[in-house]
Amino acid sequence: MASTLRDRNVKLALVVDDSAMQCKVLSVLLKEEGYRVFTANDGARGVAMYIKYSPDLVLMDINMPIMNGYEAARKIKSLSQDNSLCPLIFITSMDSDQAFIESIDAGGDGILVRPFSPEVFKAKIKSIQRISDLYAQVKTLQQEQQNDAELAEQLMSGVIESRNFAIDRIGIIKKAAELFSGDIQLTALAPNGDINAMLGDFTGHGLRSSIGAIPLAETFRTMTKKGFSLFEIINQINHQLYDLLPTDLFLGAGFASISSHDESVYLFNAGLPDVYLFSDKGIIKHKTSSSHPPLGVLPKLLPDSKLTVVSIEETDRVVLISDGIVEARNEQGEMFDFSRFEESVKQGVLQQNVSKIVLKSVNDFCQNMPQEDDISLIDIPCGGWEQDLVSSQGVESFSVEQLNDISLSTESAWHWQLSLTGSRLAAINPIPMAMSQINEIEGNAEHWQSLYTILTELFVNSLDHGVLGLSSDLKASAEGFSQYFLERERRLKNLIDGSIELQISHYPFPSGGRIIIKIIDSGQGFDIKEYYEKKALKSDDTSMLSGRGIVLVEQLCDSLDFQGKGNIVEVSYVWTT
Amino acid sequence: MSVNKIVSDDNRKVEISVVGRFDFSLHQHFRDSYSSNNDNNVEFNLNLSETTYMDSSALGMILLLKDHAENCSGKVVISKPSESVNKILEIAQFHRLLTIVT
Repeated sequence: MASTLRDRNVKLALVVDDSAMQCKVLSVLLKEEGYRVFTANDGARGVAMYIKYSPDLVLMDINMPIMNGYEAARKIKSLSQDNSLCPLIFITSMDSDQAFIESIDAGGDGILVRPFSPEVFKAKIKSIQRISDLYAQVKTLQQEQQNDAELAEQLMSGVIESRNFAIDRIGIIKKAAELFSGDIQLTALAPNGDINAMLGDFTGHGLRSSIGAIPLAETFRTMTKKGFSLFEIINQINHQLYDLLPTDLFLGAGFASISSHDESVYLFNAGLPDVYLFSDKGIIKHKTSSSHPPLGVLPKLLPDSKLTVVSIEETDRVVLISDGIVEARNEQGEMFDFSRFEESVKQGVLQQNVSKIVLKSVNDFCQNMPQEDDISLIDIPCGGWEQDLVSSQGVESFSVEQLNDISLSTESAWHWQLSLTGSRLAAINPIPMAMSQINEIEGNAEHWQSLYTILTELFVNSLDHGVLGLSSDLKASAEGFSQYFLERERRLKNLIDGSIELQISHYPFPSGGRIIIKIIDSGQGFDIKEYYEKKALKSDDTSMLSGRGIVLVEQLCDSLDFQGKGNIVEVSYVWTT
Repeated sequence: MSVNKIVSDDNRKVEISVVGRFDFSLHQHFRDSYSSNNDNNVEFNLNLSETTYMDSSALGMILLLKDHAENCSGKVVISKPSESVNKILEIAQFHRLLTIVT
């Protein structure tokens, strides 16, 4: 009804006055200003007309029968929608402070005291309309901003959360204090089956603080997928955020890389509360405190930065949190704090739903207090990941025709090789380079995952046992495992000479191909004969911590040979399409 | 909440103290407290003894102060952080970036 009467270019005014004469005078003046005018002779009727026409301006007398001007004004102001101010001016002959104060109290936007000249009246109308226009403009902008923010938020969470790995098994709490969370949770699967997870907390909240989230998520995923080590990923993220973000914007972040193969978790904490390792009974087995300023503060990671390596059991869980959980406050101003948090995780572990129990505990504690900071948590089980690797790799069996193909192909289609010497060995990881060569030449394919595993295992073997001369006996116990990594790090740092040569040749055949990998290291080698004898003896013992790398490689390849004095290894990997 | 500033007679030392909560709402005040001190070799002493709480935007503001000081070949020293504030500085490992005198 009202809408059919509305022409956007014609403004509507409502005059409420019990004097027909006054109504007439004001109507004439308003019409001269281009308004279309409706009149009412008492407050109640005024309110009814207001509802019917939603005018752009209301002029209100104070003393009227049935409902006076103040009461009508209060009703109208309570009805007016959020996005229009609908200015209301009292017209009165009561020239007193009291009348002025009451008018404003009742929701009036101004008062005009009779007698006034037509010019003064028109000036007043113009000024009030100007304020009303500004108000509408602000409201429109606010609405647009809100719409944009909602759209951006949808896009953001689409890019970030929906692409996380194993969201069914990794528990995540994400409760933003505003539309945009300054917290970010990422999980991804590395080609060797390791699970990488990151919980980040950008400075502040809102859109400003989530601006770095998209490039961060891309870097984390791409590098994990390409097989870069966790440390290399952290290094790159730090560098990227330093370049990208202003000085006062940075990222507190905790990283965990769970390696079922090493039975270890690699941890790094730059500016987050402690990162936890819990047992299946909810007992704290380990805490990694922040050892580095948040990422994006320094152009390079501090020189002594390193990952913490902790032995894990399959039933353990790694839990990362942002400070929003421990700093959540209740009505008395107390913080949720670490002891309540640790107890709630314990309960969560026992009830097999850490994220749900922790969130419930925080909510119960805070009751109706408004949330001040983003609350987030990642809970990752340490076991059950190996099947992800095996199912995607599995050793294929070949038909007779295919075997003929294989034996017939003797001509190499391409050959790639890389030699690394001395300190370069500590600084450069050649595996992603090799993989990107293969991907570029042969295209991307799922079965390159196996090749990645083979290359990594062999390279690490040559580096650790060949060039660095580390004995794998150290790895025979869980405690020795950490010691092994410390020693490895020390020797890598002091590495001056030594070299590794990596050669890859590709022999295509009609429906597949063969890749020959040869790795030559400068180390002492080992007694090949003794190795095979020992291996034969140990073959039943699957629980041994060392030597599993080579066992895995043997499963994935069709042949593996140690040559020379044990410092050369050559494997053949065949696949079919 | 307030930001107070005392400049030494020779203009060589600027002491800035933050009283109460140190968070984003102090952004402008905090910046105003140092932005006019552009002399070279000034030591900015950030006194946090009366700071009750500090959030990550405050850490960001401290980094901006550090940038400002270093642009004028000066330096920033954080002094006497209260226990709760020191904990936040510790988590952020700020002692690796600035001098903190307890």
